[in-house]
Amino acid sequence: MKFKTFAAFVGPSVFMMILFIAAPLISVFIQSFQVTQPILQQVEVETCTPGFLTQTCTTEIKTVPILGEDGKTMTQTSWVGLQSYKNVLQMDKVWAAIGNGSWNEIMQIDFWKALRFTLSFTLLTLPLVVGVGLAIALAVNNAARAIRGPIIFISLLPFIITPVIGSLSIYWLFVGDGILTAMMERWTGTNISMFAQAWTIELLMYFYRVWHVAPFAFVIFYAGLQTVNMDTLESAVIDGASRWERLRHVIVPHLMPLIIFIALIHLMDCYRVFEEIVGFRSQAHVISLQWLTYDFMTPDDAGNRAISRASASAMLTMIGIVFLLILPLRRTWRDHKGSAH
Amino acid sequence: MFLKRIALAGAVSLMGSAAFAACSYENEVPLKSLSAGFEAWKAVTDAMGECGNFQAELDQEFRTKQPAAFEANPSLYQIGGVSNGTITPLLNAGTIRPLDDLVAKYGQNLSPNQLIRINGEIMAVAMMVNTQHLMYRSDILADLGIETPTTWDEVFAAADKIQEAGVVDYPLGATMKSGWNLAQEFVNMYPGHGGKFFNDDNTTAVNSDAGLAALATMKKAMAYTDPEVLVSDSTYVQQQFQQGKIAMANLWASRAGAMNDEAESQVVGKVAMSAAPRAVADGAPATTLWWDGIVIAKNITDEEADAAFRLAMEGLDKEMVESANDAAIWLVNGYSPTDIAKGAIETATANPAPPAYPSTTQMGLLHTALGNVLPSFLTGEQDAAATLAAIEEAYTTSAKEAGVLK
Amino acid sequence: MSTPKAMQQSFALRFSSGAFLAFWCLLAAFPIFWIAVMSFKSPVDAFADSPWDVITGPATRAAGHGLSVIDIIAGLAVLYFAIRWAFTRLPGLVQQYCPPSLIVLGWVFGAVLYAVAFVLIFFGLLPLVLGALNSLLGPLGTPVLGLTTEHYVSVWAENEFYRNFLNSMLVTAGVVTISLTVGTLAGYGLARSGSDLAFWLLILALVFRALPHSVLVAGYLPVFINSSEILRPILGDGAPTLYGQPWAVIAALVAINQPFTIWMLRSFFQNIPAELDEAARVDGCSHFQAFRRVIMPVMWPGVITTGLFSFLLGYNDFLVTSLLLDAQNQTMVPAIAGYFNRETTTTDQVEAVAAAVSITAPLFLLVMVFQRQIVSGLTAGAVKG
Repeated sequence: MKFKTFAAFVGPSVFMMILFIAAPLISVFIQSFQVTQPILQQVEVETCTPGFLTQTCTTEIKTVPILGEDGKTMTQTSWVGLQSYKNVLQMDKVWAAIGNGSWNEIMQIDFWKALRFTLSFTLLTLPLVVGVGLAIALAVNNAARAIRGPIIFISLLPFIITPVIGSLSIYWLFVGDGILTAMMERWTGTNISMFAQAWTIELLMYFYRVWHVAPFAFVIFYAGLQTVNMDTLESAVIDGASRWERLRHVIVPHLMPLIIFIALIHLMDCYRVFEEIVGFRSQAHVISLQWLTYDFMTPDDAGNRAISRASASAMLTMIGIVFLLILPLRRTWRDHKGSAH
Repeated sequence: MFLKRIALAGAVSLMGSAAFAACSYENEVPLKSLSAGFEAWKAVTDAMGECGNFQAELDQEFRTKQPAAFEANPSLYQIGGVSNGTITPLLNAGTIRPLDDLVAKYGQNLSPNQLIRINGEIMAVAMMVNTQHLMYRSDILADLGIETPTTWDEVFAAADKIQEAGVVDYPLGATMKSGWNLAQEFVNMYPGHGGKFFNDDNTTAVNSDAGLAALATMKKAMAYTDPEVLVSDSTYVQQQFQQGKIAMANLWASRAGAMNDEAESQVVGKVAMSAAPRAVADGAPATTLWWDGIVIAKNITDEEADAAFRLAMEGLDKEMVESANDAAIWLVNGYSPTDIAKGAIETATANPAPPAYPSTTQMGLLHTALGNVLPSFLTGEQDAAATLAAIEEAYTTSAKEAGVLK
Repeated sequence: MSTPKAMQQSFALRFSSGAFLAFWCLLAAFPIFWIAVMSFKSPVDAFADSPWDVITGPATRAAGHGLSVIDIIAGLAVLYFAIRWAFTRLPGLVQQYCPPSLIVLGWVFGAVLYAVAFVLIFFGLLPLVLGALNSLLGPLGTPVLGLTTEHYVSVWAENEFYRNFLNSMLVTAGVVTISLTVGTLAGYGLARSGSDLAFWLLILALVFRALPHSVLVAGYLPVFINSSEILRPILGDGAPTLYGQPWAVIAALVAINQPFTIWMLRSFFQNIPAELDEAARVDGCSHFQAFRRVIMPVMWPGVITTGLFSFLLGYNDFLVTSLLLDAQNQTMVPAIAGYFNRETTTTDQVEAVAAAVSITAPLFLLVMVFQRQIVSGLTAGAVKG
């Protein structure tokens, strides 16, 4: 295919990605090395605010930005090098904590706390999603043909349901004396609070993610199972392979590209974990990298946002994802080389 | 029931088939407003909607959108709903206009108390005040022979008795959801212990004895609350009250009305309100005073501003207050305080009075720092001294980034 | 198809496989079933401690909203026949009365007509008939199960949720159409080009996909709000404000979804033998003509599957739509989240649950209709890693 034709085919797609993804990305990259501040002055301000019956007036020195000729806030932008990254990573504290041998101290630094959770979340749910997805696919493939349709339908529900609503529905089942917590309390005879300590919240978040994503893995594996070569399977039977050996040596290798595909998508999506933090209100106990970025970015009542630190934390998240993706992508690179030459 | 009627009226007026009977004139300039979405704002914007040509955006993202939307030229909204926290970015960026001439033209029914003056200029018109106050189950306290607590020590003593009696799941409720809510609890408690937030050079002064005392009180309260208190926001505490699971809470005044809502509450008529407890015996109630009100954008034509202000006055009139009397502690003429407003009014008129929530850039930064660091104290990962040091450090980092500190 | 003897399974295996499947189905459906139950109860019942109270709804019944045994039996019977009819007769009718070229439209029309008829019978006719029956039958006619549809009424009628529904439909339709148009072209180009550029483009797209959305959206907001000022030098006074414009949001969502779309479609096109379009090219077609004449007729299974994923993204998106749309153009998901903000009441929450249940209904329909296509599309190779 000539370059010109190729460009015509991919042009619209690439244009949109540049405009809406690459351009913001570049600006984020630049902002992570800059700090933009309003030029401030200290002025005496008298403020009168209402009580219920009468007003109270206070006079105080306030720090307010200077407005320019055009009526907009005057700002100055300066290059600060890696300062924002330092503020996010807080390496001095990390080294001090390592010196003390104190894991707890490192976990007091937001970035490392978030990284710890994001990584364990990503890496622990990955095998679970693949395993559960494969198990459901095998079980459905094993079921009678007549009931497969409804079962596939039910199985897909957790995947298609709006994530905000899905996580909320699980949250309600467990929060306070939610009915599932109440049920567990009756079984164990103790008072259980699922949202009072970090590990139970984390457990629920893992559960929710697997519940939500396993159907995606399932439907892809199920599609893959439809194309398993029956001849190979039968010859394996003739060779006396047990059911387990057939699964290991025929079916799983057949599904391997799909497993890698799922792993790739799952790594990317999990590394961005965000909805669970908001949905399960876990900020007090566990936070994730994207939540950290979001928190830097959200303006407070006074309108301040930590744009520079948000950019730095976003770039660090990106670097992390690139590392995670290298492994599964090596295969794609080999395939590409293989098919092209 | 009246809320439903209001919603219905709003729907009818939005559909454009409205009879403009409730409005004294017909608005001809297309206007839009952006505000928070709680009941009081619903009532006010619905009243404005009756005049026609008006679209209200009641949005939970308004804090993110408002500064940028008002800075656009022309401004995307003519009318804004703010509180003493969220007016800061608009004042700082100069995107709202002084209202003196408009108040002179249309503001005959406003009381002087409602006019928010900054350096003598009217920048906003307040419509309601909000504060925390003590809500308690009067039946339980009467049964156990407990006097209404007026200080936190008395609250804890009462909580002990209630816990012993075992009449509710948890004696205390608290809005300690990590983030904004939890920080607000500290912002209430800390001045109550006599602390001040900032030094003259904009550094924070929370790392102090008052800070330690405030933290100690918060930690003590946790012994009496639901163990899941770090996920509970005001709606959740309100629900716990309605379901009879808690006996006392220092909760927003705007939540009081829900206790007597027959459709939701199992404790109708059993919840009474009194002033927010004091942290020290002779101090002010440990809470802050808030107001909500309207502002008019600067980047619009004078005609639009004129129409917008006139419409806003129509929204803040006597009829609106009479139809939504219990939705807020209104400052508007025509409000007749009922029993549920008693606690809030006692709080606001206490002597010494609680401070107003400080509307400054630094306070925004400190509020965020508090919200992010405090959870590690309450979960026991850090001790009080380390927590205060961490708050100070988090504030310093973001204040430097924002240019407030050099 | 008969199973070879060696492939037949022991009873234990069949049983455990069946039991696992049953357990999974319970797990998958229960949370959704539960919020559906909550949405029909008064606030007191919906958040009651005992599951039994949530199901039977004593407070709802006390408020005069209840179903008697007769109601339940008749309701279930009507439901059963309605669903049966939808699966047995409806497809036939659609195929009979609809020209094959417009089959998609026919399905949409059929589904809408069916839904309207169902609502009329189930909520209009049935209560009338049963109301009369209940008063005649005495003990069988007394309510035993608390159930109210008032939350649905207040969400859809009083809070005008249908506006949000229409906005959602507009945004979703836009996202799916544009996403697929742009994505099919790019996917085909990438599949047929073996150059390193194509490969790196794909990798770059993957990295783009990994970018936290909150970062992108925060970058959009100031530009969208000030676009009228920014674009004025270029477009003159007619420069639009992008904030609050559905088409601007559609463009942003399409771009965010592009990486996934082109990945899926590329692997799908790779599975269509290159000989097909090469043969067409030998006959003198250009690449575009080959694409249109040869590839387009065979690409639908993959496109439908990919389209479904685009649909889910557009329909379920919260972050982009909540920040970039104003109240007049708001889609359903941010509208529901609006019920949960700092200042809500228990009634608001139950209404939000009712809204949440209603927005899953179209998703249900979609999966029912396209279920077979999803599996066959995936089988045909829309994913090969």
